[in-house]
Amino acid sequence: MRLLSSALVTLLALTKLSFASSSSGDSVLVVLDPSLDRENYSIFFGGLEKRGYSLTFRAPKDASPAITDYGVPNYDHVILFAPETKSYAQDITPQSLVGLLSENTNLLIALSPKQTPLTSLATEFSLILPPPDTPLISHHPARSEPQTTIPVPVSSSSPILTPGIPPVWFTGAPHALGSTPMLVPILRAPAESFAADSTSDADSDALVSASEKGGEGLWAGSQMGLVTGFQTNVNSRVVFAGGVKMFSDEYARKELPSGEAPGNALFVKDVAAWVFQEKMKLRIDAVDHHRVGESSAPEMYTTNDEIVYTAHISAYDSRTSTWKPYSGIDDLQLEFTMLDPHIRTSLPVVAGSPGTYQVQFRAPDRHGVFKFVLNWKRKGYSYLESSTTVPVVPPRHDQYPRFLSAAWPYYAGAISTSVGFFLFSALWLAGDVKGERKKGSKAE
Amino acid sequence: MPAAYPLPSDLSPATVTNTASLLRIIALALISGAAIASRLFAVINFESIIHEFDPWFNYRATKVLASQGFYEFWNWFDPTAWYPLGRVVGGTIYPGLMATSGVIYNLLHALNLPVDIRNICVLLAPGFSALTAWATYMFTKELKDESAGLLAAAFIGIVPGYISRSVAGSYDNEAIAIFLLMFTFYAWIKALKQGSAFWGTVAAVFYFYMVAAWGGYAFITNMIPLHALVLLLMGRFTGRLYVAYSSWYAIGTLSSMQVPFVGFQPIRTSEHMAALGVFGLLQIVAFAQLVRAHVSSKQFQELLFTAVISLGLIGFFGIVGLTYKGWIAPWTGRFYSLWDTGYAKKYIPIIASVSEHQPTAWPSFFMDLHFLIFLFPAGVVMCFRTLRDEHVFVIIYAVVASYFAGVMVRLMLTLTPVVCVSAAVALSSLMDTYLDPTEPNAEDDTSDSSSTHPTGTTPTTTPATPATNKKAKKNKEKEKEKESTGGVLGELVSNVASSAVAAKSAPTAEKGVFGIDTRLIVLLNSLGLLLFFVVHCTWATSNAYSSPSVVLSSTGSDGSKNLIDDFREAYHWLRQNTAEDAVVMSWWDYGYQIAGMADRPTLVDNNTWNNTHIATVGKAMASPEDIAYPILRKHDVSYVLIIFGGLIGYSGDDINKFLWMVRIAQGVWPDEIQEPNYFNRGEYRVDSEAAPAMRDSLMYKMSYYRFAELFGGQQPVDRVRGQHVPIQGPTLDYLEEAYTSENWIVRIYEVKKDDVLGRDLKIANAFNQGKKRKRTKPVSRRKAISA
Repeated sequence: MRLLSSALVTLLALTKLSFASSSSGDSVLVVLDPSLDRENYSIFFGGLEKRGYSLTFRAPKDASPAITDYGVPNYDHVILFAPETKSYAQDITPQSLVGLLSENTNLLIALSPKQTPLTSLATEFSLILPPPDTPLISHHPARSEPQTTIPVPVSSSSPILTPGIPPVWFTGAPHALGSTPMLVPILRAPAESFAADSTSDADSDALVSASEKGGEGLWAGSQMGLVTGFQTNVNSRVVFAGGVKMFSDEYARKELPSGEAPGNALFVKDVAAWVFQEKMKLRIDAVDHHRVGESSAPEMYTTNDEIVYTAHISAYDSRTSTWKPYSGIDDLQLEFTMLDPHIRTSLPVVAGSPGTYQVQFRAPDRHGVFKFVLNWKRKGYSYLESSTTVPVVPPRHDQYPRFLSAAWPYYAGAISTSVGFFLFSALWLAGDVKGERKKGSKAE
Repeated sequence: MPAAYPLPSDLSPATVTNTASLLRIIALALISGAAIASRLFAVINFESIIHEFDPWFNYRATKVLASQGFYEFWNWFDPTAWYPLGRVVGGTIYPGLMATSGVIYNLLHALNLPVDIRNICVLLAPGFSALTAWATYMFTKELKDESAGLLAAAFIGIVPGYISRSVAGSYDNEAIAIFLLMFTFYAWIKALKQGSAFWGTVAAVFYFYMVAAWGGYAFITNMIPLHALVLLLMGRFTGRLYVAYSSWYAIGTLSSMQVPFVGFQPIRTSEHMAALGVFGLLQIVAFAQLVRAHVSSKQFQELLFTAVISLGLIGFFGIVGLTYKGWIAPWTGRFYSLWDTGYAKKYIPIIASVSEHQPTAWPSFFMDLHFLIFLFPAGVVMCFRTLRDEHVFVIIYAVVASYFAGVMVRLMLTLTPVVCVSAAVALSSLMDTYLDPTEPNAEDDTSDSSSTHPTGTTPTTTPATPATNKKAKKNKEKEKEKESTGGVLGELVSNVASSAVAAKSAPTAEKGVFGIDTRLIVLLNSLGLLLFFVVHCTWATSNAYSSPSVVLSSTGSDGSKNLIDDFREAYHWLRQNTAEDAVVMSWWDYGYQIAGMADRPTLVDNNTWNNTHIATVGKAMASPEDIAYPILRKHDVSYVLIIFGGLIGYSGDDINKFLWMVRIAQGVWPDEIQEPNYFNRGEYRVDSEAAPAMRDSLMYKMSYYRFAELFGGQQPVDRVRGQHVPIQGPTLDYLEEAYTSENWIVRIYEVKKDDVLGRDLKIANAFNQGKKRKRTKPVSRRKAISA
C-alpha cells in the first residue's frame, strides 16, 4: 500500500515536472508539528503549490512516508517546521538530514529558542546558537506587540531577495555565524536587538558587562543572523530560520508599527525560491579546449602550445523551467594547474555569444599532467567547479628545430674537416711514385 | 717419451681437429640448453609471469613499443607515472631491452609466428644467457684455449650469481647486458690483439648496444681506459693499442651519445672523463712515438718527454678546472657510495634503502659462486703467468669487480663473468696437467723433486706463489735486462710474472705427473667438485632465485605448496573497481607493479628520479592523518596502497620499510619529520610501547586498522615483528578501508572526499558517530576596551 502510494507520488512528480519552478524537482515533504496549524501557513504552502510543488505533509513522529528508502531520498526538498519537537521518528536525525543534503535534497529548517535535536544540527553548519530559552528581544521600534515579536528591516543587498521588501515580523532565536564561507546570510538581526534568557529586562546588566568584555559571548547586534542559508559542496541548499512564525499567515497579515503591510509573504517566498533551487542556479554546460587553429581537443598538448579554453555556462530560469545561457559573470578565472597554478587568467565572456566564456593562453614551458581548473564560488550562487586533466608533453623528436644559427661554428667545423679530408685523400692518392717509396720505407 | 696411458696413434690430424670441433659445437649447444633450461624453474613452478618490480615497467614499455611502433615509444610521455609530474619515458630509459624484444617480436610475426609479447619478455633472459655462454666461451678462448672456453661457458651458464638476474620472467636490463658486456670485452681484446680497427668498431657497436641497454655501461667505459692506461704504464704501448682504443672510443662515444638518456654525458660528467683522458693521452704518446722515430737528438727526446708529461698534466688540470667551473658534472652520489659504504645512508637514503645496494655478506659469495670463488684467485695467478695484454685485462677486471662486488650486492653480477673466466682458466690448467699422458723422465725427477713443483697444480696449492717468488728474485736481474722497455708497473708485475717465465725456461721433461693413480685422484676430485657445483646451482636456482616475488609460495608442514597471490588479487581489484584515472599512492617499490598490473596512475615508482616527490610520499605516510590529508588531496590521491605482512609473516612489508620513508622524508623536511621520534628509547616497536609519532603515523594506522578484530578479543600478534599489538586498534578519519587482500598483505584505503558541509573530516566523523560537540560562543569581533 505504501509502495503504491509512493509510486503514485513519484508518478505525480514526473507528470508535474514539466511546469515545476525548481531546477531539481518539485516533491516536497513537509514535516509539520501537530501543534502548528496547517491553515495558519496557507499563504506559504499555497504559494508553493501554486508554483508547481507537490507537498506531502507528515508529523515528526510519523514513520511514514519515509524520507529515504534504502538510502535513496524520496523527496527533492524537505521542510522541517517542527521547531519545538524533542523527539522524531527514527528516520529524522541530524545525521540523516546531513545525509539528505549530500544526496542533493534541500532543507528548510525552522529553529526555536528551545533545545531540540535540530540545535545540534545547526552547529554542524557552523551556526552558533545561544543557550536554550534565550529568544531575540528588541524594544525598538515602540509598538504594542510583545518585545519578542520584532519587525526586522530587510537588507536589500542580498541577491536572494527581491529589492525593497518591507520589514518582516520575526519571533524566535538568533544565531551567530561561524567562519565557514559556505554560509549565506539572508536576514540579520536589528542592531538594537539582543538575546536574553528571560522576557523581562532583568538580564540587561549581564549583557552590558558582556559587551564591556569585548563582545565575548554577546548575543546581540546586527552580527546575529535570523535567517541564514548554507550551500553545501554538492550545491544542495539549506536554510535555517530562527523562528517558524515568520512563515505564518498571521505574521503575513499583521500590520507593521508604521502601518504598512509587512514583507513576510514576499520574504518567505524568496527564501523558499532560493532554497528550492529556483534562483541563482548556475551550471557549466560544457568546457572544451583545443589548440589555436584546431577544433577538437587533442589527446595531449605540447609545451608552449597556444591553447583556447571555452566554458559554456547557463543559468536556470524558473519561469520557463529552462536553462538559458548566462553571461552575467564578470570575475570568472581559469587556472592551469600542476600542483600549483602555473597560469591564472581571467576568463571573460565572449561578446555576441551568450553564456560563452573564452580565453587563449600559452601553455607553460613545463611538461607534466596539468588541469584546467574552473572554480567560481560566490555566496548564494551555485558553485561552478570544473577540472579537466590534460598531459602537456615535451616536443617530439622531430619537432625540434633542425638547423640552429647558433651552431654555425660546428657546421663550419664539420664541413671544413670533411673538405680537408677529401683534399688530403685526393692529394695522397694522386701523389707521384716518390710518395709511394716513402710510404714503403715507413711501413718497413 | 713415457706415457701414463696409451693414446690412439692411427688417427689423422684432420680427424682429430674435426672431431674436436664437432664436440665443441655439441658441448656449446648442450651448455646453452642447460643455461636456458635451468632458468625455466620459475615458469614451471609458478607460471609464465613477469617478476619483481622493474621488469614490470620494462614489460609495459615493451608493450607500448610492440603495439605503437618505435617512434611512439621514443616519444612516449607517460602521464600516469609520477603523477602529476609525468615521465618522459623515451628520454629516461635505456631502450635496448625493449628494442631487442620488439625486434624479436616483429621478426617472429613476420615469420607468421604469433608469439605473445609477454612470452618473449619472459623468455628473453634465458635466451640471452645462452648467448652469454657463447660470448664467455669466445672471451676465454682468447685467454687460454677452447677447453677453458667451454668450461667458462658451462660455468656462466649455470652459476647462480648470474641466474639470479636472468631467470625466466626476470625481464630486466641485466638480462641482456651481461652478454653485451662479455661480447664487448671479447671484441676489445680481439681488437687489441690484432690492432684491428674492424674489431675496435665491433667493440664500439656492442658498447653502443650496452649503453642503450644498461646503466652499468659505465663499467665498460672505465674498464677499457683503465686497461689501456695500465698497458701504457707497463710500457706496452703499441700501434695495436692505439688503433683499437681510438676506434673504440671515437665510434663508441659518438654512438653512445645517440641514446637520449645518455645525451651529452660522455663529455660532461666525471664518470666518463677517464675514457676521454686516456684517449687524449694515447694521442700524445702516439705523437711522441712518431716524433721520436724521426728525431735523433738525445736532448730533444728529453724535451719531448717533458712536453708529453706537461701536456698530460695540463689535460688533467683542465678536466679538474672544468669540473670546478661546473662545465663537467662532478661525481654523482651513486659513485661516492661505491667508495664510502656509509655515504649513501647519510646523504642519499633513497639509494641506501634498496636492499641490493647493501654491502655483500660473505656467505652470498659462496651462495652465488660456489667453488668458483676458490678457483678464482688461482685463475688470476694463472693470468700473471702468461700476462699477455688480455691477461692484464682479466687481472684488472678481477680486482675492480671484486671490490665493487664487496660494496654492493647487486654488483655481484659484474664479478660473476670474470670469476667464471678465471676459474675456468685455473681448472682447465689443472685438467691439462693431469690429462696430459706424458710422464717426466724418472732420473731428472730425483734430482729436481726437492726444488721444483708441478706447474699445473699451482691453482689448488696456494703457497705456490711465495715459493716461486724467491726463485723469481734470483732471476730478476736477468729478466730486467730483457724487459728494459717495461714501465714502473711492468716491473712490479714482472715480479710475479717472472715465475711463469722461469717455469717456461725449465725443461718440460723435468716436471710432471707419474702414473695414472695420481692423475685419477686429482681428476676425480675436481670432477666431484664440478658435480657438487651443478647440484648447488640447481638447488640455488630452484629455491632461491626462481620466485617471481609477485606470487609468493609457502611450504606447509607436510611439504605441500601453498601459493600466496595477494598482490595480483589486489591489483586486479584496483583495475576492476576504481576509476581509470584514480591516482594510487604507495611506496615507490610498488609503483611499477601498480602501473603494470592495475593500470592506474601512481605518485612514485621504482624509477627514483625525483627525491622530493618520494619524500612527499614518505612524509604523508609518516605524518598524522590531518597533516597527511592535505598532501593527499593536493596530489589528487584517491587510493593509498600499503603492504602489510603482520598476519602471515611476510617480512618485506611497509612497516619494515617505514624507517626509510621517515629518513627520506627527513632529508627534505628535517623540521617536520625526525627519525628519533619513531623510536621508543632506541627501539623500533609497534606494540603498546610504540612511540607516539609512530602510533599516529598514517602508515601505522593503515597497517593495524581493524587488525585486532581478526583475533576475536585475544591479544593480536604481529608475526613479522613478533610483538603484541594493542587490542584497541587505531581509528581512521580521513581514509576508509576499501580493500584488504586474502592474507592481508595488500591493504587499500580510499581517501575521503571533502565533507559536504566543509567541516574537518575528523569532526564530521565524530558527528556521524553521534558524538556531542562542545558548545561554542560567538567570537569577539573587536578588541576589549580595557586591554
